[in-house]
Amino acid sequence: MSPLFVELDRSEPDRRRRGEPTLNVRAPLTGANNMSFVAKPLTSPEPRTAPLTNRGLAKLRTREKILEAGRRLFTERGYEGATVRDIARAAGMSTGAVFASFADKAELFDEIVATDYRSLEAEMAEAVRNAPTIEEALLGLFGAAYRSHVHQLPMVCAAMSAGWTRHPSTAPRSREALKPIVDLIREALQQGVDRGELAANTDVRLLRGIVWEVYLSGYRAAVYEGWTADDMIRRLADQLRIILTGAKG
Amino acid sequence: MGVREEQKRATRAKVLDAARDLFDHTGFEETTVRAIAEKAGVSVGSVFTTFTSKADILGQVMAERTAALTGELERVTPHLRGTACDRLSALLAIHYDFQMRRPKLYLAYLAVSFGAAHEPGFERMGTNPGLRTFVSDILQGAIDRGEMAPDIDIQLAMETIISLYGFNYMRVSDGLNAAALTGVMDRQLKQLFEGLKAQGGVNPAL
Repeated sequence: MSPLFVELDRSEPDRRRRGEPTLNVRAPLTGANNMSFVAKPLTSPEPRTAPLTNRGLAKLRTREKILEAGRRLFTERGYEGATVRDIARAAGMSTGAVFASFADKAELFDEIVATDYRSLEAEMAEAVRNAPTIEEALLGLFGAAYRSHVHQLPMVCAAMSAGWTRHPSTAPRSREALKPIVDLIREALQQGVDRGELAANTDVRLLRGIVWEVYLSGYRAAVYEGWTADDMIRRLADQLRIILTGAKG
Repeated sequence: MGVREEQKRATRAKVLDAARDLFDHTGFEETTVRAIAEKAGVSVGSVFTTFTSKADILGQVMAERTAALTGELERVTPHLRGTACDRLSALLAIHYDFQMRRPKLYLAYLAVSFGAAHEPGFERMGTNPGLRTFVSDILQGAIDRGEMAPDIDIQLAMETIISLYGFNYMRVSDGLNAAALTGVMDRQLKQLFEGLKAQGGVNPAL
């Protein structure tokens, strides 16, 4: 699946394995500009679930520096165009120091994207839970992502490029990481079934896949045809109208 | 045709063959233009008299494959039978079968498709006019036969079907092969047609 939605909850066990401080890294929601792929200031994580030693703090700062440099270079050069060596240099450290924090470029990239999606998660969840209809739930959920990402198309392109050529061995990991967002789509659809908007025998899994891919295709139009977030949302609404009509109760 | 033109054409064919195999076996990013030239038995300089970049070579490799597939489909599509859903199912099964013969090549193409600026001739993901026409024609046929309401938005339905077809390739990293992709596509088409039929000209309140 697309790395746009990867690595959402992998961080804790991985950090523990490497002896890094275990934190609940969750960027606070501060409005639309918070989602910037490019110039987003890396906020200090909160809330903390474990006290940090000086050494732990230093490690965390190193990690943040790498993520910031990576974000900048992936945006400028694309996924393949940015090497770990370049990122290390931009962060002012050795390649070895980067590999002490991230296993490889894919993991570093995933973490950048994951941070952005984590920052959208609360907004998307709220959209689903407050929406009176299934259409509004899905449009609110995906609209939040579109509105955020449309300003970061170079990063979206990098994510798409990385997504097609992802090594099969990382697929289970990225599938697991996708869970929170996938769960939210499922929740929206299930809510539709429970309210009687969708038929009781609706194949939620099938519908989820369709809705997901149609959502992703909006980025294609944004990249190739210069669509705005509103264009993407309008198109998605038209497509959902067809897709959901077939599942109406 | 002059000797020079003929030579150029031969070089082009050799480079495309070599590149197709290297991209598919070794990978696009891992393959250098030098390696392509070597395998093709031509000089690096002569590669650059015909192609502007490695991405340009990939674009032309794909264009050749698309042309071959389209030619094949032009022979096949008049013989498709059944509902529009059945016909689309067969059409896309042929596509999956064809592209998944060289999965690494096709996935590299999709990845590069989202890369930086391309030559005007580079046909990015979902823009293949042949496939778009085939899908639209099948939908139009369904309207003509009275199978679907005449006010169905063909353009929207076509775009949606092609998006699903294309983004299903993301499932290849989950281990899906051509047959499995076709299975997914069939279920998606069925669901989509439920909607197209139910819509039947009535615009349901959103």
